[in-house]
Amino acid sequence: MQVPEIVDDALDPADKAWAAVPSEKVPLVPVPIEEQPNEYIRTAWRTRPYGRVAAVDVAAVQRGERLLVRLEWDDSDEPNTEFLDGAGVFFPDAGDSGAPLTIGSHSAPVRLWAWRDRTPMQEALPAARELVASGPGAFRAAGLDAGDGENEGARPDAVSALSGGRWAVVIAGDLARAAAAGRMGVVVWDGSNDERAGIGAVSPNWVPLTVK
Amino acid sequence: MSQDIAGTAVAGQVAMVFDLNKCMGCQTCSIACKVLWTREEGEEHQWWMTVNTQPGQGTPKDWEHMGGGRKKDGSPVTGHQPTRAEFGGGWEFNYDEVFYGGKGRSVHLKPTDKGDGTTRWGMNWDEDQGAGEYPNAYYFYLPRLCNHCTHPVCASACPTGAMYKRPQDGAVLRDEDLCQGSRFCMEACPYKKIYFNEARNVAQHCIMCFPRLEEGVAPACARQCPGRLTFVGMLSDPEGPIHKLVNEWEVALPLHPEYGTTPNVFYVPPLAPYRLNEDMSIDYETPRIPPEYLESLFGPKVHSALATMQGELDRVRAGGTSEILDTLIVYNWLDLFGPFTTDPATLDRTPDKVAVSLTAKRTEPAGG
Repeated sequence: MQVPEIVDDALDPADKAWAAVPSEKVPLVPVPIEEQPNEYIRTAWRTRPYGRVAAVDVAAVQRGERLLVRLEWDDSDEPNTEFLDGAGVFFPDAGDSGAPLTIGSHSAPVRLWAWRDRTPMQEALPAARELVASGPGAFRAAGLDAGDGENEGARPDAVSALSGGRWAVVIAGDLARAAAAGRMGVVVWDGSNDERAGIGAVSPNWVPLTVK
Repeated sequence: MSQDIAGTAVAGQVAMVFDLNKCMGCQTCSIACKVLWTREEGEEHQWWMTVNTQPGQGTPKDWEHMGGGRKKDGSPVTGHQPTRAEFGGGWEFNYDEVFYGGKGRSVHLKPTDKGDGTTRWGMNWDEDQGAGEYPNAYYFYLPRLCNHCTHPVCASACPTGAMYKRPQDGAVLRDEDLCQGSRFCMEACPYKKIYFNEARNVAQHCIMCFPRLEEGVAPACARQCPGRLTFVGMLSDPEGPIHKLVNEWEVALPLHPEYGTTPNVFYVPPLAPYRLNEDMSIDYETPRIPPEYLESLFGPKVHSALATMQGELDRVRAGGTSEILDTLIVYNWLDLFGPFTTDPATLDRTPDKVAVSLTAKRTEPAGG
């Protein structure tokens, strides 16, 4: 995926700058049930379908030291109850060739920039978080451990919009990390299906990124 | 040391015993906990300590039919995550309208209906309803909190390792830095004593007042109970009342042992008054609380526990003595608290003296 440079900020998914940026339809598959981190989750979801979002339109631009990724997908017709919709992009460490299917692993964690819709009570929470993901649902806030290298200025941000039954979310984060990885994974959680943690839809293959 | 399924060896297990013959449902324990721990945004509906009337639907509503726990072979049972409406409570009231809006004579003080179903249940909604028909209606009170299980399914179900069993005393705690709000713990817990803080996107539950335990102070619910019915101590202490009531005399039983989590909160089952016949004579053969109902709560051992208690009562009424009854009467209040007898009022609570180590942050690796 080509990642053109832009001058103006395009954090708003409705920004006209995105009209000129080609998007790519990335198919998604359920995170494999056998890779879920514990027996409870595997038991609870073995016969329950998840990973409902089958594909997401992805576009990306770079602006200064930031990578902006725009994700767009069809929202479910069913209402959310206990969980809200979410999405994220994740980046392996340089040299790691593992599949994105498990959103990282214990031996090869990935950096996940995660957005989740918020309730009015959650407005004080950040729109996006940077997580160290070591497998399905094994997410840990970046910066908790020494050597995580969390840079406050590089923290991800996100802006979302729901219109016409489609979510459009722009997630912005540290360009250097994305450039070093050279490729990106995508994950989407359908809140109306109680999807969260490792229960979601993920890109089975890395999306190559050509960053200048 | 004991080893639980989640793989945590514990040096000792803190445990509690509630004597249901003495609980009067005053809710002092519930309030003690709430005032101490759940007063912030997102915690309005949270009651880590609850007292429900049994038989009843309890809190969350109909929790006993929400699944979770483990089968006999140790495999997990899929559970239902209680909804905010099933917990109910956490209401906002129309104070402005009634007190300041000039409508005090025309509008009742009432919870504000937000259309989310939360005004149709609460932490003690069916209090004192009970079961049965007059003159044989019956009920008793059941205080409940996190059981700090030996085999905590919440910890097993947590994908991040946020829920864990602390090695030094077996308290099941959560590291809120690690919690991502995925709430599998709420599904997996068969006792449904875990809540969700929407404002902070973390799960929350009874922490056994661990900062108090570390200072030798009993949990707030136990210390503030006016009924002298709440024992706290280490399960393995052979001289302590917990060990004697649970292991030696076997009059204190776990709630729903079939849930498979080996809880560490125990109950002395309630002896019941006798049933009345239609002519209002006393049926000395039949207790008013059906034994089969008590068995559904505490398992088949409840019958021998009740028989032991009745035997002790009979002996004392005949002029004898009973160590069991003396223990349960609690002539000396501090005997309730095992090693946790420090008076919190004697502690130096100035901010710079409060130990910064009083944290639930997990110190050993997740997954260990």
